[in-house]
Amino acid sequence: MERIVEVVPEAGLHARPASKLVKTVNRFDADVSVGRAADGDDGSVRADSMLAVTGLNVGHGESVRIVADGPDAEAALDAIEDLLTSPVEDSTGEERTEGDPT
Amino acid sequence: MTGSTTLTGIGSTPRTGVGTARWYRPGADLTLPDRPDPSTVAPEVERERFEAAREEAREAIRLARDRAEVRDGDEEAAVFDAHEAFLDDPGIVDDVESAIDDGTPAEHAVHDRFEAAIEQFEGMDGRMAERADDLRDVRDRLLRALLDAPTPTDLSTLPAGTVLLAERLTPSDTAELDPAAVAGIATVGGGRTSHAAIIARSLSIPAVVGVGDALGEVPDGAEVLVDGEAGEVVVGPDEDRRAAALGGNDVPVVTESVSTADGLAIEVAANVGSGAEVSPAVDRGADGIGLFRSEFLFLDRESPPSEEEQYEAVVAALEAFPDDRVVVRTLDVGGDKRVPYLDLPEEPNPFLGRRGIRLSLEEHADLFETHLRALLRAAAHAGGSDAGGIGGDDRDGDSDRDGGDLAVMFPMVSRVEEVDAALDRVESVAADLAAEGTEHAIPDLGAMVETPAASFLADALAARLDFLSVGTNDLAGYVMAADRENDAVADYHDPLHPAVLRAIGRTTTGAEGTDAWVGMCGEMAGDPELTELLVGLGLDELSMSAVTVPAVKERVRAVDSAEASELADEVLACETRVEVRDVLGLDG
Repeated sequence: MERIVEVVPEAGLHARPASKLVKTVNRFDADVSVGRAADGDDGSVRADSMLAVTGLNVGHGESVRIVADGPDAEAALDAIEDLLTSPVEDSTGEERTEGDPT
Repeated sequence: MTGSTTLTGIGSTPRTGVGTARWYRPGADLTLPDRPDPSTVAPEVERERFEAAREEAREAIRLARDRAEVRDGDEEAAVFDAHEAFLDDPGIVDDVESAIDDGTPAEHAVHDRFEAAIEQFEGMDGRMAERADDLRDVRDRLLRALLDAPTPTDLSTLPAGTVLLAERLTPSDTAELDPAAVAGIATVGGGRTSHAAIIARSLSIPAVVGVGDALGEVPDGAEVLVDGEAGEVVVGPDEDRRAAALGGNDVPVVTESVSTADGLAIEVAANVGSGAEVSPAVDRGADGIGLFRSEFLFLDRESPPSEEEQYEAVVAALEAFPDDRVVVRTLDVGGDKRVPYLDLPEEPNPFLGRRGIRLSLEEHADLFETHLRALLRAAAHAGGSDAGGIGGDDRDGDSDRDGGDLAVMFPMVSRVEEVDAALDRVESVAADLAAEGTEHAIPDLGAMVETPAASFLADALAARLDFLSVGTNDLAGYVMAADRENDAVADYHDPLHPAVLRAIGRTTTGAEGTDAWVGMCGEMAGDPELTELLVGLGLDELSMSAVTVPAVKERVRAVDSAEASELADEVLACETRVEVRDVLGLDG
């Protein structure tokens, strides 16, 4: 399953939001990839790699396409959407999503 | 018995300190051994070494993270989360392990993989290049663990009484120093107006820069005296020298405001470049803050500070000086001041490109609006009164400005249109705040005179504003067309060149006949040997590193303003720097 999300944090998919994304992905039993929405499958990279995620160089306000596969796919997508649509200050995706796969 | 050795450099912070020498060598030796024949490499052993190095690096990163969290807050700490994520990156770990399996020793495998990633990042835009620095940081931690190399000195936890010796210090190195622990700084390179020297000055750390290669002979652990007044580094100073230097250190602090011998009031204020510098400024008896470098609120973080954060920082400064004025310079980035998240344009010549007010009015208009909202709200805090308006018929009058003690100035002004546009922005922000019912006031507004253009236009600027403030570091740079960080043209970068002095004279003359006051907030303002000249040139306010406030106040009291004015005329007639120095009675 997949979802298109606009990246809200000021820093884009860099530093803090990027490391939070990687951390979040690692908590779920799912293979997750991320890429610019406009690039389709071609530009998508594994979302558990800091190097790959930062290398996308996605800025604030751009839309990304997240694809997840596996038992926790939907929960992972929810957590990621939460994270990417909150401004940095109050992104607490970690607490909110722990252990509630649907 | 050992005699003492004296080395000469450029005195930067005019104080003296004695302590124990300690070299800072951030680029510790991480040279790789020669690559062995793959058949001689045992992959299992190398994998274990790699694993152990990762654990060691992880511990160090977490330690740094916790320390940053305590000292600098969440923002700084987040950088280390990113570092840990790089350490665990499956793309990196898998590639390193497969290189090891192919017979590459762990250190070479780590080096090669990171090198490739760094190269990839550096090929991308400005912000990605920052990330390359993160990768280097993580790589170096791994290599240090693998090569058993010593960890570089942590500058923030040096033992008390350290005299720090270095090839050169970066501004961020210097900002980490604890002024209570560091007795002095001496560097091989660097000039008096380099950013690092300015930061040392604002932290009141005795400093001598540009000592040259002879400094390299000073061993770790030697007793060293740093005399920032004479520009001397004395190794193994004798008792007399120590006593004389330390005894003569401090001119008594004068807390009240001062006037010349014949009664002309001169404000002596402090330049402040971080929250930590506010209280030393109070301690040294400054009459307020003449330059509050607001960009420090924006540096070393991942996103801009909120309106509330800015408001609180300015209010804290106002509260530290309840009876004085605080002059905030609006965000001054560009040139050599880079802020990764602001996506500054890549320019071949940033000093002549988008910086200061140019960015605030265009690329950073949103940021500028937030900035102004915070400042106008803080102005109400200072004045404790309701909104005033700018303009109307009485552009010069103070009657409708209720900002109290806050003043705001715009950096890098070179056109009258910029000032008009900035005033429009202030007015529209005030209207928004009024519509929301948010308490605010219009502070006094001014412009920095840092470009020859602003000096030529001083009359027109003064007619529109409450004050002008001459930034001598940039003004000297732009008038003489010389970069202050470039040692090869250091000789050009001296405010005592007649062309620079005439630009200053032109500024004060231009403001005559308006109600605008003229201040100076460059390094020049803090040199007590120039106080008489500056009073004579017609400056009403001098703002400097806090450390020199007492000495300048003492000088002001001895000045006769009529004599000072004659001195200024004589200096303005000079055609060379040698003549200027001669008239001022300065050596060389």
